[in-house]
Amino acid sequence: MLNNKKRNGIMSSFLVLSLSLAGCSDSGENVTQTKDNEKKPATEELSTERILTDAMGHEVTIPANPKHIIASYLEDNLVALGITPAAQWSINDGAGLQDYLQVYLKDVPTIPSELPFEVVASFTPDLIIMSSAQEVEGSKYDQYAKIAPTYVVEVENNSDWREKLLSVGEIFEKTDEAKQVLEVYEKKATESKKIIQDSIGSESAAAIWLVNNNFYIVSENVSSGAVLYGDLGLSTPSVVKEISSTATGNWSAISLERLAELDADHIFLINSDKGNGAEMLKDPVWQNIPAVKNGHIYEYGAETSWLYSGVIANTQIIDGVVESLTK
Amino acid sequence: MKEKNNKTHTQHRAKTKNLIIIGVLGLLIVVAFMISMNTGFIKLTPLEVIRTLFGLGTEKQHLILFEFRLPRIIIAVLVGMGLAVSGCVLQGISRNALADPGILGINAGAGLAVMLFISFFPSTAATPVFLLPVLAFFGAGVTAVIIYSLAYKRHEGISPMRLLLTGVAVAAGISSAMIVLTLRLSPENYQFVATWLAGSIWGSNWKFVLSLLPWILVLIPFVFSKARVLNVLNLGDLTATGLGASIEKERRILLAAAVGLAGASVSVSGGIGFVGLIGPHLARQLVGSRHQFLIPAAALTGGLLVLVADTLGRWILQPSEIPAGIVVAVIGAPYFLYLLSRLKD
Repeated sequence: MLNNKKRNGIMSSFLVLSLSLAGCSDSGENVTQTKDNEKKPATEELSTERILTDAMGHEVTIPANPKHIIASYLEDNLVALGITPAAQWSINDGAGLQDYLQVYLKDVPTIPSELPFEVVASFTPDLIIMSSAQEVEGSKYDQYAKIAPTYVVEVENNSDWREKLLSVGEIFEKTDEAKQVLEVYEKKATESKKIIQDSIGSESAAAIWLVNNNFYIVSENVSSGAVLYGDLGLSTPSVVKEISSTATGNWSAISLERLAELDADHIFLINSDKGNGAEMLKDPVWQNIPAVKNGHIYEYGAETSWLYSGVIANTQIIDGVVESLTK
Repeated sequence: MKEKNNKTHTQHRAKTKNLIIIGVLGLLIVVAFMISMNTGFIKLTPLEVIRTLFGLGTEKQHLILFEFRLPRIIIAVLVGMGLAVSGCVLQGISRNALADPGILGINAGAGLAVMLFISFFPSTAATPVFLLPVLAFFGAGVTAVIIYSLAYKRHEGISPMRLLLTGVAVAAGISSAMIVLTLRLSPENYQFVATWLAGSIWGSNWKFVLSLLPWILVLIPFVFSKARVLNVLNLGDLTATGLGASIEKERRILLAAAVGLAGASVSVSGGIGFVGLIGPHLARQLVGSRHQFLIPAAALTGGLLVLVADTLGRWILQPSEIPAGIVVAVIGAPYFLYLLSRLKD
């Protein structure tokens, strides 16, 4: 939980910056925004147009009560705050979705993850939220900003979903809701931690992702690893510790030989190869891993939230872990 | 006397024919331009496009045409022109039909420079865009110097065949260096580099146009002014020296111009291959090999090719987009093989 301390510092200084709110501004740049606002019903709600400074230093005019929001790959946060976006992240022509969120996003149309300008424009959004600076690389920002006010949440895509949730909450003046959501989560995590400890003591666990006949293992402090080891207090196997110290991404490739040394008591297997026969799981090396031998292996499909991060994703992960470990 | 008259007459006829062909190519670009303006995720009728072009459209139509489609179309045409003329010059100075900025490793050199830059200064969002062509030119230039000096022999100068072989070898080396580099990139940067390498021009905007335009506006007329020199070089080194051309010097200047054109184009478009090869070839079939006609014809063919490829790429898999480079490669690869098979005979 206390990882990313430095980043937190940077982020909170951004938040402080962002707090310098302004009421209505009539500078020339805001012409399009004001026009957008005119289209809205005259029912004046409490909130007004505000100017926030995003992670890249843009001054972004957040319209009062944005209605059509595009926040690709930030949907978890929006849903947690009770906001429905105008379009949702997808890959492969809408074939790949964040399945675990579909209960909430059933009727939301898809948008390709690379966010082509015209597709974005076709939704006539009144607010665009980008999860990181990479999405607006090569001065694409200016063009998105011409479609609608565009807010970039982070410069580097870091893995701290709590900060992300708070930043998104800040944009919608829902900081209190965001904090509340976090409180509920921490409470759930603490309770679940106790339940798990009562059930398996201080045994260790690892999350392994099988895709295209390759195994990947989650690092200690990121993604579902942060949930397992950080929030739920499961012991970290030494192989995971070793790999985490040099890992560049959330999931690191791991060879079957290395897996054989895995000293985890429990394995959570996210199987993206279900349809393809998952030949790797028939390999004797895999079969001989202690956790597999002892039947302490819990299989999840790719449609579960294990590969994602966010309060909803993580809550679902916790539910799964508790269920698996208290059988 | 009569004979001479006849000769100038046929020459005159050929000239008129070539001018007409060049005019038709220009017209085709205009047609492709109109079609491309109509192509995209948001449907606009031709009438709406024309109304918007004259400033009568809605705000949204204006945004789509002037901010999203127009810069991209212009970039496509400019990149096509730059690469095709670059290829034309390289084929001229190496007297080899297979020379092309891609094959000679110049594109790869430019790509490596851009990639190094991206991996060391990851937040390119803040990078001044005009820097990219300069960097690419630098990378392409270094590569060209390496190739040139490796292919140079004191008493023989540059043999076209050696130039090409060295180019292929250096290109292979740079490509592997790039692969090693991609392995070290973060997933996000990798995504950016991968799209860039595939030759996607979808992120283009007016800044890119402005950063590329000066290179094209200066270098293509310059190359055009050297058309006679290219004609002479085409005759072979001995004849050319006999005719009084200082071969090595001219060759170096032209090589630098070709490198500049390719580097600047590649910096905004990424790895669009084959245009530098096919553009000049198609043009040669249309107007013959006199560079006075060949250069403008190659420029127009190249521009048309990339514009059509990008328009197709936007249209085939809507709402997703196929990078123009891949479309060009799909058209280009078979043509390349066809060329190779003809060379064997």
